[in-house]
Amino acid sequence: MQTIVVPGEKLSDSIIRIQNSTVINGKTYSTIVGLFSSDKNTLIPLEGLWHPAYGDTVIGIIEEYRLNSYVVNLNSPYKGILITKYVQDQLKKGDLIEASVKELDKTKTVVLMRSRRLTGGKIISITPSKVPRVLGKGNNMINEIEQSTKSSILIGHNGVIWLKGGDMKLATDAIFRIQEEAHTSGLTDRIKGMLTSGS
Amino acid sequence: MGSTQDKPQLMINGKRLDGRGPADLRSIKIEPNVVKNAAGSAYIEWGKNKIIAAVHGPKEALPKHFADPERAIIKCRYMMAPFSSLEEHGRTGPNRRSIEISKVTKEVFENVVMLELFPNTEIDIFVEVLQGDGGTRAAGITAAAVAMALSGIPMTDIPYAVSAGKIGDTVVLDMDKLEDNYSDADMPVAVKPLDNEILLLQMDGSFTKEQLKQAISMITDAGKAIREVQEKAIRKPYEQIIEKYQK
Repeated sequence: MQTIVVPGEKLSDSIIRIQNSTVINGKTYSTIVGLFSSDKNTLIPLEGLWHPAYGDTVIGIIEEYRLNSYVVNLNSPYKGILITKYVQDQLKKGDLIEASVKELDKTKTVVLMRSRRLTGGKIISITPSKVPRVLGKGNNMINEIEQSTKSSILIGHNGVIWLKGGDMKLATDAIFRIQEEAHTSGLTDRIKGMLTSGS
Repeated sequence: MGSTQDKPQLMINGKRLDGRGPADLRSIKIEPNVVKNAAGSAYIEWGKNKIIAAVHGPKEALPKHFADPERAIIKCRYMMAPFSSLEEHGRTGPNRRSIEISKVTKEVFENVVMLELFPNTEIDIFVEVLQGDGGTRAAGITAAAVAMALSGIPMTDIPYAVSAGKIGDTVVLDMDKLEDNYSDADMPVAVKPLDNEILLLQMDGSFTKEQLKQAISMITDAGKAIREVQEKAIRKPYEQIIEKYQK
């Protein structure tokens, strides 16, 4: 059973090591607004920013060109750095790219690799903590949307989503609905119903 | 502190002017997510106080020499609208009073927000008083705490604030504008409810040692009710959607 917890709410009388929690005097407390399930010991944030991690896929916009690197806007407080040497395409300011996180340092400078230029389409941004819900278990949620709307969709862990072709409006509506209702159960069935009635 | 010569009688038969007892709070109502473009926001109606609080960020700290490579910095702006009160708030822009309150609000949140998770960034807190009736800094901190929680920034606890005061020799809680002007002491206090740690304590006038202890215990007792209102406001947007599909 999942319950909504708020910062400072007691999760357990014993020490449990989960993300977004703090231990005071041997008891565990939440530090965020999230969904806590006591039997599985998981705490999923309902709001929040993207915490960069190695291997994350991101979508960003080239913001600046420097001597040996590009600066990428990642819709987060931290900028991405893309080393020019490893980039095959000729990029210019305003270009949209997909890349993955190569390394991070203590001050959270995000170094990117394996970049790919995205042409056409449009981007939308959602709350980064809802990205796993948009992907679904084994990517089944996003596969469902792609099949029904015939548009190709790329999801960045930083909360930026790129769509191209097909029924983009329906896909966008579905993604925003998932964001809004991410904490409810039976969401996959409702989205399926929405996609079949909409198309 | 008003003039001591023509002081109105603020307590009659143990009741205050608006019919409250010494330890009673005014009614508190918090509405979550009122500002679309903020990361988190809240609107509070505390008696006749009407305040909007909004939290932006974390974002890149500007100017860059303010940035701290170890933790995030907090900036706070408390401001009273020109039409918010009967007294002089006619000028816009920061004045001595609003700079002071911005500073104390900032220090409350520096002690609860987990700043070390966001190095080199800044978090902005805005508190706008639309209508003021005494105790706006306490109400502003209470609303800003809800806005901060809704923005998803990790914090160890949701702080609340309330003011205590002294009418004659009676310790009272949550004074309004009239009581504030003619009372013998006024003390806004912000508390972290998890361990009742005091995050803000300012005092106008004087308390004896016993009165101060009584005031603090009255504040922590009343805090449970304030905390309940805050929690309810934070849960409201999510529970509304859950209810919609629970048929």
